[in-house]
Amino acid sequence: MSRAGLPLLFAALCVVSLTVGVNRLSLAQLASFSDAAWLTLTASRLPRLAALVLTGVGLAVCGVILQHVVRNRFVEPATTGGLEAAKLGILISLSVSPAGGAAVRMALALAFCLVASLVYVAIIARLRLRNTILVPVIGLMYGSVLGALAEFYAYGRNMLQSMQGWLLGDFSKIVQGNYEIVWLILPVVGAAYLFAHRFTVLGMGSDMATSLGISYRAMVTLGLLLVSTTVAATVVAVGAIPFVGLVVPNVVALRQGDNLARTLPSVALGGASLVLACDILGRLLIYPFEVPIGLTMGGIGGLLFLLLIVRSGR
Amino acid sequence: MIAVTALQKRYGSRTVLSDVHAEFPKGRLTSLIGPNGAGKSTLLMLIARLLEPTRGTILMDGADIARIPVGDYARCVATLRQRPDFNLRLTVEELVSFGRFPYSRGRLTAADRRAVDGAIAFLSLEPLRGALIDELSGGQRQMAFLAMTIAQETGCLLLDEPLNNLDMKHAVQIMQALRMLCDTLDRTVIAVIHDINFAANYSDHIVAMKDGAVHSAGPVPAVVTEEGLRDLYDLDFEILQRQRGCLCNYFTPQGET
Amino acid sequence: MSGRAGLLAFWTGLAAMAAAFLLFDSGLDFNYIIPRRLAKLAAMVIGGIAVGLSSIVFQTLAGNRVLTPAVMGYEAVYLLLQSLLVLMLGTSSLVLLGDYGNFLVSILLMLAYSLAVHRWLFSDRQADIGYPLLIGLVLTLIIGTFTQFVQLRISPGEFAIFQGFALVSFDRVEWGRILWSGGLVAAVCVAGRPSLPVLDVLALGRDQAVSLGVDHHRHVRFLLALVAVLVAVSTSLIGPTAFMGIFVANLAYACARSGRHRLTLPLGCAIAVGMFLAAQLAVEHVFNYRTTVGILINLVCGAWFLALTLRFRDIA
Repeated sequence: MSRAGLPLLFAALCVVSLTVGVNRLSLAQLASFSDAAWLTLTASRLPRLAALVLTGVGLAVCGVILQHVVRNRFVEPATTGGLEAAKLGILISLSVSPAGGAAVRMALALAFCLVASLVYVAIIARLRLRNTILVPVIGLMYGSVLGALAEFYAYGRNMLQSMQGWLLGDFSKIVQGNYEIVWLILPVVGAAYLFAHRFTVLGMGSDMATSLGISYRAMVTLGLLLVSTTVAATVVAVGAIPFVGLVVPNVVALRQGDNLARTLPSVALGGASLVLACDILGRLLIYPFEVPIGLTMGGIGGLLFLLLIVRSGR
Repeated sequence: MIAVTALQKRYGSRTVLSDVHAEFPKGRLTSLIGPNGAGKSTLLMLIARLLEPTRGTILMDGADIARIPVGDYARCVATLRQRPDFNLRLTVEELVSFGRFPYSRGRLTAADRRAVDGAIAFLSLEPLRGALIDELSGGQRQMAFLAMTIAQETGCLLLDEPLNNLDMKHAVQIMQALRMLCDTLDRTVIAVIHDINFAANYSDHIVAMKDGAVHSAGPVPAVVTEEGLRDLYDLDFEILQRQRGCLCNYFTPQGET
Repeated sequence: MSGRAGLLAFWTGLAAMAAAFLLFDSGLDFNYIIPRRLAKLAAMVIGGIAVGLSSIVFQTLAGNRVLTPAVMGYEAVYLLLQSLLVLMLGTSSLVLLGDYGNFLVSILLMLAYSLAVHRWLFSDRQADIGYPLLIGLVLTLIIGTFTQFVQLRISPGEFAIFQGFALVSFDRVEWGRILWSGGLVAAVCVAGRPSLPVLDVLALGRDQAVSLGVDHHRHVRFLLALVAVLVAVSTSLIGPTAFMGIFVANLAYACARSGRHRLTLPLGCAIAVGMFLAAQLAVEHVFNYRTTVGILINLVCGAWFLALTLRFRDIA
C-alpha cells in the first residue's frame, strides 16, 4: 500500500461507517442535515465512529509498545493476560460497587491490568527462554488462569452468562453520554508518539537502553501504564477486542520496519482501519442485527494471527 | 583510565567476584580473559553500570562512576553485549543513528549526521547503509551494532564477547576495527574475549580472571606466558612467536590435562 | 519419601478419599445416595484414567512437557461441535442425536482432528515445538470467541444445557454412559498395552527411535488415534479439563522419578482420579456448590503451572 493509500482507505472507511446502520443514512440525507439524520448522527453514529477510531488506534499502539517492552512479536494485551485482568477488574468493581459508574470500573480495570502486566513482564524477564515463541504461549496461559479466576468469581455470584455479555467487545452500546472514557486514549497515543524513539530503543534490550542512557525500568513502567490505560478504557466502554494490537504492528513492521518514530502513524491508521472494517462487516453480515466486534475481530484477527505464525515458522 | 578497587559482587550466598583490583589504561585495548565462570562478564557489566556492586568502587578518571547520572554516563561509556535475538527491522543507518540518542534524544542535528556517517565509513559499511539488520548475516549485524556504539562517541567502549558466533573473517574484521579505534580515535576499549589468540594478538593490556578474582594483569607479554596460561586455564600451552604474531597452541596438550 | 512406602501411602490415601466420598454424610442409604455417588465415582475413575493416559502419552509423542491434547485444541473442537448443535437445534439437540449419537460424532470429530494434529506436529521438517503450541492456543481462543457468541444467542435454558457440556461436572452421568465410556477406555488400554515398551523408546525422540529400529510414523499415528478416543471419552463424559493434563503429567513424572511409562502411566491416572475426588469433595463440603469442579481444577492447575514456569528458569 502506497503512503497515500492508507489514509485514503481510512477516510473511506470512516464515511462508510457513518452511513451503515439500522437507520439507513445515505450521503444525500447526511448532506441535507435533516433533523432525523442529524440526531442519528450525533447521538449514535459520530460517537460510534469516534469510539471505533480511538479504539483501533489505541489498541494497535498498545500492541507495538508491548512488543518492544517484551521484545517479542506476538505479544499484545490478549496474549499477556492484560485483557483478562481488565475484565477481572471490571467484574470485581461491578460486584463491589455496582452503582460506581464508569470511573470506578475504569480505575479497577486499570489497576488490575497494570499489575498483571507488570507481573507478566517480570515472569518473562526471569525465564531464560531459549525458545522465544513460548513468550505469547505463557501469556495466553497466564490469561487463561486469570480467566479461570474470573469464572470462579462470577459463577459463585451467578454472573457467568451476563459477564460474557458485558465483556465481549460490542460497539452497539456506544451512544453519546456513554462512551466518553475512550477519549483518554488520545493523550496515551500522544505520549507514545513523544516517546517513540525511546520505545524503539527498549526493543533493543535493557543493556542497550542503559548504554544509551535511558532508564529502562522507568520506560517499561511508563509503557505498561500507557497500555493499561488504553486497555482499561476500551474494555470499560466497549468490551474486550483481541488481536488488533498483534496483527497491525506486525504487518506494518514487515512493510516499513521498526523505527517507531516513522511507523507509528501507519500503525495507528492501520489499527483504526482494521477495527472500522470489522465493525462494518459485523453490521452488514446479519443486517439488521449486529455481530459484535469481539466476535468478528476474534475470528478475523485470529485467522490473521495464525497466518503470521505459520509464515514466521517457515 | 578506569580503576577498579576492592570490587565484590554477591548473589545471596554465591560470590561471583571477590575483592577485584584492576586498572584499564586509557586509549588502549584491554582484553578480559579467563575460563568460564571466572566473572569476566560480571566485571564488565559492573563497569557498564548494568549491575550494582555489593562492595567496592569503580573510578573513571578519578570520578566515582556511581555518582554520574545515567544520561551523562551514556556519553562516557558505550556497551555492546551479545546480539539481541529480537532483531528489530531497522536499516543499518537507522540503527547507527540511535547511537546519537544520548546527545539528541532522537532529533538528529548536522553534527549527529556527521558522526553517523563517520561511524559507517569507519567500518566500511557504506554498501549496507540501507539494508535491514534482520536480513544481514551475523557478522554484518555485529558490525552494524559496533558502528552504533562508535557513533555514540564515547571515550570508552565495553564489549561482552563480541566474537561469539562469528565466522573467522568477521571476527578478524571486528578485532581490526577495535584496534583502529584505539590507534586512530584514541578510544579505550575493554572486551571480554574467549579466544586467547585474538586477545594475545590485538590487545595492549590483559586482565586475566579466575574464580572471581584477578589472576594476573599487565601488558600482553607479561600475561601471555606458558606458565601463566597453564595456571589460568588448566591446560598445557605452547606459545610460538612468529613475525606476524604469536600463536598459542592448546589444541594438543602434552601429558595429562 | 522412600519409593515403595510413598507409593503405598499414596494409593491408600486415594482409597480413603474414595471411601470418604462414598460414605461420608450419606446415612448409609444404599437405595439412592450411595448408588448415585458410585456412579459419580465411576465417572471420576474413568475420566481420570482417560485424562492421565492421554496427557502422558501425548507428551511423550510430542517430546514436550507443556503440550497436552487440551492445549492443542482438541477440547475446543469438541466445544465447537456442542455449541453448534445447541445453536442450530436448540434443546432438541439432546433428543435428536441421542446420547450415543452425540458421543459417536464427537469421537469421529476427534479422530479427524487428530489426523490434522499429526501432520502438524510430525511433519518431516524438524519443526519448532513452540509453533504448534501457539497455534493450538490461538485456535482455542478463536473457537472460544465463537462459543462465547453462541452463549449470547441462546436462551438461559439452552445455556444451562450448554454449561453442562462446557464445564467439568460429574452430576449428569448415568450408568449407560458410564458403561460405554468404561468399555471404550478398557479397549484402548488393551490395544495400547503392547506399545508400552515402544513408548519409552519414542520418548527419546524421533531420530533416536528410528535409529533404534522403531517405525516412528506408524506408531505415532496409532497412539494419536488412541489419544483422540480417550479425549473424546473424557470430554463428553465429564467435560473439558484444560490445564489438568499438564499438571497430572508433570506431577506423575516427579513422583515416579523415572520416565518409564510402566510407572508414570498408572501414577498419572491415580493422580487425575485423586484430583477429581478432591475437587468434588471441595465443591460439596467446602464451597457448598458455589463453584464447580471444572473451575476449581482450572484455577489450581493453571496457577500451579505458572508457578512451575517461575521455578524452571530454562524452558525448552
